[in-house]
Amino acid sequence: MAQETEHRQHHINLLPGETAPTVLVPGDPGRVELFAKEMDEAWKVAQKREYVTYTGKKDGVLISCTSSGLGPSPTAIGVEELIRVGSKNIIRMGTCGALQPFMRAGDIIIATGAVRGSRCTEEFISIDYPAIADYRIVRASIDACERLGLKYHLGLVRTHDAFYLESPWAHGDYAARLKPWVDLGVLAVENESATMLVVASMQGVRAGTILLSSNPIFGEGEDDPDLEAHKRDLVRVGIETAKVLHEMGLDED
Amino acid sequence: MEKQHHIQLVPGDIGETVFLPGDVSRAKVIADHFDSAELVVSNRQYNTFTGLYKGVKVSVTSTGIGGAAAAIAIEELVKVGAKNLIRIGTGGMMQTWLPNPAILVITGAVRGDGTTREYFPPEYPAVADFYMVENLLKSADELGIEVHTGYEWSHDAFYAGSTLSKLDILAIEKPWIDAGVLIASQEASTVFALASARNVRGGVILASAGCHQHPEKSASPEEMVTAISNATKISLETALKLHALDHKENK
Repeated sequence: MAQETEHRQHHINLLPGETAPTVLVPGDPGRVELFAKEMDEAWKVAQKREYVTYTGKKDGVLISCTSSGLGPSPTAIGVEELIRVGSKNIIRMGTCGALQPFMRAGDIIIATGAVRGSRCTEEFISIDYPAIADYRIVRASIDACERLGLKYHLGLVRTHDAFYLESPWAHGDYAARLKPWVDLGVLAVENESATMLVVASMQGVRAGTILLSSNPIFGEGEDDPDLEAHKRDLVRVGIETAKVLHEMGLDED
Repeated sequence: MEKQHHIQLVPGDIGETVFLPGDVSRAKVIADHFDSAELVVSNRQYNTFTGLYKGVKVSVTSTGIGGAAAAIAIEELVKVGAKNLIRIGTGGMMQTWLPNPAILVITGAVRGDGTTREYFPPEYPAVADFYMVENLLKSADELGIEVHTGYEWSHDAFYAGSTLSKLDILAIEKPWIDAGVLIASQEASTVFALASARNVRGGVILASAGCHQHPEKSASPEEMVTAISNATKISLETALKLHALDHKENK
């Protein structure tokens, strides 16, 4: 369980008590500012390297947001250190490339689990171990989307390391590389979820993933003209999810 | 459609929800919890009973032991119309903080088996269907039966990971015990990964039998009868909830 310490964590630069039990984790440090704008009040708690943290209140519920940076290495560090300052619910709030042809830009994806195509967590535990989202966070994310009237897809996502092998701008035949995952029904490809889910679940901490389809890889419209509005939707889903977890009694210290 | 090669069933023989015990004799034990049930086919280790529970058609098919046999049953059951697969089984408790026997709703599985390795790349996760987990938990709650949630270590060699093993099983299992994996058994990884890939729901509910750290605390046969019966009651109520969910969505 959480090993709370009194010194500032080495990378995220946080002390216990500076963050809420529920922390939303975008990859992009810039998106933390978007979180702050959507809250009733929010204050910057820490900024070091790619880790920016704000804590704030929305409708009376205390919620934090810490950026992870891009890829598994900073995500594993960020999640580990968040657990050490007492985080109870760690929720990735990121963007992804949608893989299924029925998906569109702006769709929300709630992950039930992630393909461990990233190497980083194999240093912690064998590849046999699954990357699974906590079912209570999945439920809270579904309720949040339904309350906000936003369409969502529920299923597996693929986490991997090399963005320029599996994206619309990739080298070579990215469609062939992605085909096995498309055939298995995997919904989207991104770079952080499996790492977060493995690091958190190994320590008994709840984690989940909410993604925005910013670049459908096989669907229509590679460029989303409403990307900024959709990013705001994603942040609103994250905040609403934290509120649902609060109502479920799952954000107590 | 011709009869499926191993389970010897055709469409219409089963309900949309099929319970999957490993133990051949347990198929009848589970069917005895239905309001009515008839043996449809018995072939090899695959015994199938179909009947009604509170007006909904449900089935039970024994799989035999291990991922290889379970995968055959799942592939063939999906071909004849199964939509919801619920394994009702037993396993060896690996955590000392839980009671034994305990009833466990499995949310995911460590893929220590060979069958899913042949089917899927190793990084593909064995995840329980979300609605399956949620409805198993709701049903347990309504019935007042205590359950716990967590992961299963699925593996192939029973005598390399059970209280009856001659090996140092706690050393073998240490990475899983340290990561909080609850129970050792053999089929959850196959049920979850194959069900996901075939776009049907996979769920697993287990009663712990052996206790790996304290073999002397292993469950008695009488305790196991009660635990399996409770797991069956939870699964039957879950079948009703999934039926309501699916047939509401289809309207």
